[in-house]
Amino acid sequence: MTTRRAFLQGTAATAAALTLGFRFAPAAAQEAETVFRPNIWLRLHRDGRAVLVLGKSEMGQGVRTVLPAILAEELDLPLDRITVEQALPGPDFRRLSTGGSTSVATLWAPLRKAGAAAREMLVAAAAQRWGAAPADCWTEPGFVVHPPSKRRLAYGALVAEAARLPVPKEPRLKDPAAFRHLGQRLPRFEGRDLVTGQATFGADLQLPGLKTAVVVRCPVLGGKVRRFQEEVALALPGVRAVVEVPTGIAVVADTAHQAFQAAQALKVEWDEGPHAAFSSKAFEADLRGRLDAKGETARAEGDAARALAGAARRVEALYTFPFQAHATLEPPMAIAQVGSDGCDLWVGSQNPNALHERAARRLGLKPEQVRVHVTLMGGGFGRRLAWDFGMEAVEVAKASGLPVKLLWTRPDDLAFDWLHPMSLQRLRGGLAADGKPVAWQHQVAAPSILLAWMEGRRSPGIVPTETNGALDIPYGIPALEVSYHEAPYHGPLGWWRAIEAVPNVFARECFVDELAAAAGKDPLAFRLDLLGPGRTVTLGQDPVDLGRLRAVLTTAAQRAGWGKPLSKGRGRGLACAHFHGTFIAEVAEVTVDARGRIRVEKVTVVTDCGRVLNPLNAEAQMEGGIVWALSALRTQVTFEQGRVQQTGYSDFPVLTFGDMPEVTCHFLPSTLDPTGLGEPPVLPLIPAVLNAVAAATGERLRTLPLPAERFA
Amino acid sequence: MTRFQVVVNGRERAVEADGATPLLWVLRDHLALTGTKFGCGEGVCGSCTVLLEGAAVRSCQVSLADAAGRAITTIEGLSPDGTHPLQKAWVAEDVAQCGYCQPGFLMTAAGLLARKPRPTEADLREAFAGMVCRCGTYQRIRKAVRRAAKELAQGKEVRP
Repeated sequence: MTTRRAFLQGTAATAAALTLGFRFAPAAAQEAETVFRPNIWLRLHRDGRAVLVLGKSEMGQGVRTVLPAILAEELDLPLDRITVEQALPGPDFRRLSTGGSTSVATLWAPLRKAGAAAREMLVAAAAQRWGAAPADCWTEPGFVVHPPSKRRLAYGALVAEAARLPVPKEPRLKDPAAFRHLGQRLPRFEGRDLVTGQATFGADLQLPGLKTAVVVRCPVLGGKVRRFQEEVALALPGVRAVVEVPTGIAVVADTAHQAFQAAQALKVEWDEGPHAAFSSKAFEADLRGRLDAKGETARAEGDAARALAGAARRVEALYTFPFQAHATLEPPMAIAQVGSDGCDLWVGSQNPNALHERAARRLGLKPEQVRVHVTLMGGGFGRRLAWDFGMEAVEVAKASGLPVKLLWTRPDDLAFDWLHPMSLQRLRGGLAADGKPVAWQHQVAAPSILLAWMEGRRSPGIVPTETNGALDIPYGIPALEVSYHEAPYHGPLGWWRAIEAVPNVFARECFVDELAAAAGKDPLAFRLDLLGPGRTVTLGQDPVDLGRLRAVLTTAAQRAGWGKPLSKGRGRGLACAHFHGTFIAEVAEVTVDARGRIRVEKVTVVTDCGRVLNPLNAEAQMEGGIVWALSALRTQVTFEQGRVQQTGYSDFPVLTFGDMPEVTCHFLPSTLDPTGLGEPPVLPLIPAVLNAVAAATGERLRTLPLPAERFA
Repeated sequence: MTRFQVVVNGRERAVEADGATPLLWVLRDHLALTGTKFGCGEGVCGSCTVLLEGAAVRSCQVSLADAAGRAITTIEGLSPDGTHPLQKAWVAEDVAQCGYCQPGFLMTAAGLLARKPRPTEADLREAFAGMVCRCGTYQRIRKAVRRAAKELAQGKEVRP
């Protein structure tokens, strides 16, 4: 069975295997004397500086900080002696991708091993030079030492000799109790550059002769250019070219201002194509209809329909989650330079191989003639797994013959994002006379992101991933059924922070509270009862340790003062989730005023992600995930007449400063291998807030987004 | 095309451009000062914030003609060496995630502290109203501004 996770993250695993296997790329003869390069990911220079060739893209999640620290830990090197260099996709690096909160989880073991192996080789080289036994040699940060003779050599002095030694297959790893860096609060790698304006994002690069390009696209997805008049635009100052590209008409000018002016002056007549009548309201009705038809069974235990029919009490609810945009603060941007013998592309991409392959194919170039340089990115969240804007820059550079910096405006970003799809969820639950749940049905109606990415090629055995978060429900209910109701959608779809699990966990965790209310039970006690004793069970494909889920739930409840009385109009709600080996629970405390206006005051988050490598950034990820979910209570993308209605942050109102609740993070101590943190904190927050509103007022909200007037 | 004189980070610079060009693009395209970021182009998100005569403004909403002759400070000019109390506080609190919006928040904070050296929570809310950090760093921004305000206040007390 292929899952989204395997599809997307197989990439990371393969990259890891390269390191594990120490695929040795022989260094050039003169390089061998000055550089020690035990594998393609690590170079150690004569000056003692180590370079980690980074296969992961930095988008704020902190890979540039933590991954070098893992390597430095085992290599025994001060952090300031290690730097990073972005891997160039191509024959050496065939599967670079960043997504699914997997960077640390998949690179933890290989990076440790790479560092430890390099350290052993440096020790062996020093021992050889000294005629000493390697067992008598040790390292101090950056040096090999021989305590009996008090001799020491800097790593840099040993690179030539180390480079000639065999790479140990099973180097000895450091005892985590001796870690110097990991587990400490590690400040961000490029922290200073980010506060001085020196950090280089996609559009910050300066190149000689670089022009700015803006593309005018058909407002309806799938539409085409019928005809266009370029004369007026071409006559404007600074305009260098007006060219047709597959996505629309590109205007190329000396500056951004000139390109924007010219784009406005351009007259384009569109053939709006087959989707000019599309509306999200009608699409919602379509999804509702699909819930009444038979879906694909994703998980079935017992006879849920029968158990439901025989239940003493039945509860049913419909939850709605809208289309959502990524709205990264840096809109899509890319710089492309195309010549007859090569192409350079600078782009904030989470998926640079996809661009590399597509650009080479499109331009008829050999792989080595295409260089995709991954820049820092102003937010990723899955948006930059898509190759659309990078390839658009290549098209404009090719058509105009000019090096171009492609800029998307904020309205472009919302209108042409690879959206997270709308979904409708119907849940039905049956309670026995004693209030115990005996039946659970969770139906998910949505278009499939995975199938959209597979470009319609649905091979046998492919199970859409749209039920993630529903399929792996951790609660033990004797009769249970989860089904997927696929709905066709014409536009591009993309992975969004925590993906399908966001709507599914929202519905699941709200509905658990609805059942608890129907049974007259406390939501925490009800959940713990349904989880049962701590043990490992297989949910979907993954083994899940329910004991860890219980622990985060009870700790979060305790830290948030669960059960303590609150004043009128105030309520607490909780929810929990597990996501690729990370366990998380959140308690939200809200106030609801007399006019029904909600304010999220406090969030307590408790996480078990195995060993925490960088607490400073781990907490940042918690805060960020919570803000992401708080935004999702407010935002949506809607369509009318085939057109996206939202144009900016005014009508796509993500959370702003004044609405930030007080977030308190706690990580359960653990010596288990680290898991991912970028996505999990998004999951429990929406249901925790809506459960808190229900606790405060009795009102059950099931449709997202909440109307703007519901926020204080 | 008209020739304008602008004073950016204490330096007088000549810019030949349409007077309607937003200051944001004058900084980025004409003066190669790319620390000031484009986020929305409509004065909402605040990523392009700079100081104009000491006050925080959205540079996408100020025309070159209006900015000409007035003192402009960008993130590159906040301090000569990255040691403005706000910059130090931002690093100490590890505020930035992706970092794209941070120059705007820093310049807004600089404008605020210049006006109100001891800002209240209401002052912070007013100064940062509408500004967007999609990574969600608001809690740390609050802490960092408080830390910088404290340092500035202590500095004043120490001085004779």
